[in-house]
Amino acid sequence: MRPLEDKKLLTLIAPIELQRMLIDTLKRREIGGYTLVPCTGAGTTGLRSGMLGVDSNVLIYVIISEQRLQRVLEDMDTLMRSGYRVKAIVQDIAIMPRKVTAEGAQNAD
Amino acid sequence: MLEAAGRNLLDPVILFFVLGVLAGLIRSNLEMPQPIAKFLSLYLLVAIGLKGGTTLAVEGLSASGAMAVLAALIMAVSVPIITYGVLKRLVDPFNAAAVAGTYGSVSAVTFIAAQQFLDKNGIPFGGYMTVAMVLMETPAIILAVTLVTLLRAKQAVAPVSLSAAAADQPSVIPALSIGRVVYEALTYGGHVLLVGSLVIGFVAGAPGQDAIRPLFSDLFKGILAFFLLDMGLLVGRQFGDAEFRLEYVLTAFALIAPPLYGSLALLLARVFALAQGDAVLLAALSASASYIVVPAILRYAVPEARPGIYFTMALGLTFPFNIIAGIPLYHAISELLWR
Repeated sequence: MRPLEDKKLLTLIAPIELQRMLIDTLKRREIGGYTLVPCTGAGTTGLRSGMLGVDSNVLIYVIISEQRLQRVLEDMDTLMRSGYRVKAIVQDIAIMPRKVTAEGAQNAD
Repeated sequence: MLEAAGRNLLDPVILFFVLGVLAGLIRSNLEMPQPIAKFLSLYLLVAIGLKGGTTLAVEGLSASGAMAVLAALIMAVSVPIITYGVLKRLVDPFNAAAVAGTYGSVSAVTFIAAQQFLDKNGIPFGGYMTVAMVLMETPAIILAVTLVTLLRAKQAVAPVSLSAAAADQPSVIPALSIGRVVYEALTYGGHVLLVGSLVIGFVAGAPGQDAIRPLFSDLFKGILAFFLLDMGLLVGRQFGDAEFRLEYVLTAFALIAPPLYGSLALLLARVFALAQGDAVLLAALSASASYIVVPAILRYAVPEARPGIYFTMALGLTFPFNIIAGIPLYHAISELLWR
């Protein structure tokens, strides 16, 4: 079996209106892989019911290395300081990589 | 006058709205599937655009119609300026600018409800009022963003200048010029659909309308009832579930501003010698606030403002006020002025 790789899972929760801006921000950091999930909820700014389309949130999942994570978190910090309502959650995860590096294959043996 | 107001309250469309509000307040698990809710809003935009375009094709744009459109533009500029002038003394100026943008723009559903009210009372109105509504959507958002840009310059807040970035790395925050904001407003899906339907209705004219009448005319009221049930649910839940609570001054503004702006619009319509039906529609538009397009743009164009304020005011207070009490009130005032 291919060995697991240590990665970070970055989860961003934001109003759906900010989705394009956040994706552009990730792309500037050369992160092209992400998963989007529309979602609803409530918080200090009120109910995000999703009933109007615009009043919904989005979950953006990004699997990322620790080095690249820091740069993205700096970007998120800048956005938050500007007043944008974004939540960033970071978790340690292990993934089964699609591509096996030579080093990884050796370890597996 | 009271009879018309009573008829409005007993209209099944309004009663479905009230049912939705009650269901939301008591936290009923009544749900409208999201794709259906989205379809209903798209349907209404197409129906209103087609109706306005067809009427415009049949009647043409008269001098009175041109005056109505001019009056609409005057109100679209005046309402945000007055709103900002009043609120900047009472709340944070960024919130004041955002509320000004929200109240300067319009609610298409309030416009539809006002049309239904006029139809029911046998008061004619021009198809050009749909053009007026379309034109009223954008000036306020431009004014709001201009105000915010001036506020930022005054306060010299670096992060939200939208251009501040370290020289060696690209800015995280996209450049948001007035032109970009206008582009976002004009290319917003609902706006494109409304304008497109208006043009299609105008080009196809009356023969084209006949072909699609079963869907967009005969079923209209039933589908509007369904949509308002959903809107009522949203309004009720906004109050029932949200942690956010509005300040009293903003609550008062959200309920006092609509009759004031509606009255101002009626006076302007009287000066411009508009027909009574057009005047009531102008009043309903001026008294309404945008809870879809403008809040969506403000979310990223004015991050300093609190969405809970401008969204809750527009949707939770001003919208139900206009649907239940405002429209009959504007009609009653128009009866006095046009008698």
